[in-house]
Amino acid sequence: MSLLQVDKLGVTYPGQSQPALHQVSLSLARDELLVALGPSGCGKSTLLGVLAGFIAPSQGRVLFAGQPVTAPGVERAVVFQHDALLPWLNVHDNVAFGLKLQGADAAARERIVADTLRLVGLADVAGKRTWQLSGGMRQRVGIARALASRSQVLLLDEPFGALDAFTREQMQQLLLRVWQQSQRGVFLITHDIEEALFLATELVLMSPGPGRIVQRLRPTFNQRYRAGEDVRAIKSDPEFIALRESLLHSLFRQGHEEAA
Amino acid sequence: MPTTPPALIAVPDTLDFGNPPSPSAPAGRRWQPQAAHWAALSIAGLLLLWWALTASGLIAPLFLPPPQAVLAKFGELLAGGYMDATLQQHLLASLQRMLLALLAAVVVGIPLGIVIGVFPLARHLLDPVIEFYRPLPPLAYLPLIVIWFGIGELSKVLLIFLAILAPVLIATAHGVTSVSQLRQQAALSLGASRWQLLRHVILPGALPEIITGVRIGLGAGWSTLVAAELIAATRGLGFMIQSAAQFLVTDVVVLGIIVIALVAFALELGLRRLQQRLTPWHGQHH
Repeated sequence: MSLLQVDKLGVTYPGQSQPALHQVSLSLARDELLVALGPSGCGKSTLLGVLAGFIAPSQGRVLFAGQPVTAPGVERAVVFQHDALLPWLNVHDNVAFGLKLQGADAAARERIVADTLRLVGLADVAGKRTWQLSGGMRQRVGIARALASRSQVLLLDEPFGALDAFTREQMQQLLLRVWQQSQRGVFLITHDIEEALFLATELVLMSPGPGRIVQRLRPTFNQRYRAGEDVRAIKSDPEFIALRESLLHSLFRQGHEEAA
Repeated sequence: MPTTPPALIAVPDTLDFGNPPSPSAPAGRRWQPQAAHWAALSIAGLLLLWWALTASGLIAPLFLPPPQAVLAKFGELLAGGYMDATLQQHLLASLQRMLLALLAAVVVGIPLGIVIGVFPLARHLLDPVIEFYRPLPPLAYLPLIVIWFGIGELSKVLLIFLAILAPVLIATAHGVTSVSQLRQQAALSLGASRWQLLRHVILPGALPEIITGVRIGLGAGWSTLVAAELIAATRGLGFMIQSAAQFLVTDVVVLGIIVIALVAFALELGLRRLQQRLTPWHGQHH
């Protein structure tokens, strides 16, 4: 059963003649990792904003568990590219933040925070301030904070966009592990083709002017990684490379059409 | 038989460019002057210049008394006082007014600044009022305050309060509006109510600017002290300076100025330390 349902969504910002999003439909189930891939200006951040409840749709609707999404909610936790952590709190308190806001009792909170910190490999730095951590570790804190809250869906806004290539690959693997163990639906936006292909159970390619979905794929690389195949072996597989090049070609073609 | 091609330039195994030793090198570490050393040097230079100008007879003691005369006056005022009060009593009177005004400015300015920062309507309504009175010299509206509130303690504290209020208010409002949108959105998606958002995200996020506003406000408060103590005061450093000026007792004037500067600087250092302690994350890459 789908958790998030998007039907013919359209968003036009005030004062703009062209819609930022046009006729976008998709659905996300609990065991899915849906990736929206596209260049800047294709509306993927707007789409995430609508799913999070930060932006109101102009047309169409977004449903969470059958109910219309009209505002931000605990069931849909967001992780941003530039961490939106609270630097005045330590790692532990950042992860506990959502539960504290929701009024969870202290014992349950401590148990969940400890489990989550272990899951993302941050148990050793629980007492550190977030600004003392590297970019990759801060993103882990952001993911842990979203996981520890009572979220059912994680909305990830280019979460690894600011990381170096090595850390980025480590984080992709971490995300797959976390996704598998936590049983949440994940919606991720990125402009990195490799990342999108490697992570997605479903991939939607978006195009600007107006922002819309132009292609849908169901890559299997995520499954292969979970079955034990090595990440480098997957990413250098001819099938992976062929798909990557085909997507790159589509993106370039869009760019040319846009320029014309 | 393979041969190694000759190197075009002979490169020695170790290169010595005469680099300074690294900071971690245990031996040969050179003494580096710190900020405090430069500050001490600056003050010592100023004192020396002061002494040289007066000792050489270039400036008459009426215009600028020598440092040793001011020091002697300091001892005299501690024991005997000036205008029926010791230096400590003058200082205490001024400090009481300053701290009372500061407390009032913080109690009024921070909540009002938050309201201005959070509600655009409040900003539209209050902005003209603040910008109308803020650039006015306190001496310009001093007569009005005396007419409205009399010549008692209230008018003195009110004048200093108004000087501190504007920077605290503006800094708080700016701090609130510049709290990261991403942090706020993330908190909302974790279930924060409006009140929780304010309490746990906006206020702590605005704290560095709020404290900076208080620091600037305190400076503005000190600069208003003399004007405030024009209002029928019988004690206070500002009153002491004005009275001494009327009788051309220049050493008391200079002493008063130095005491105000020292006390203001001590409070500023305290606030800087408080800022570092409360917001160590400010200015860090995060």
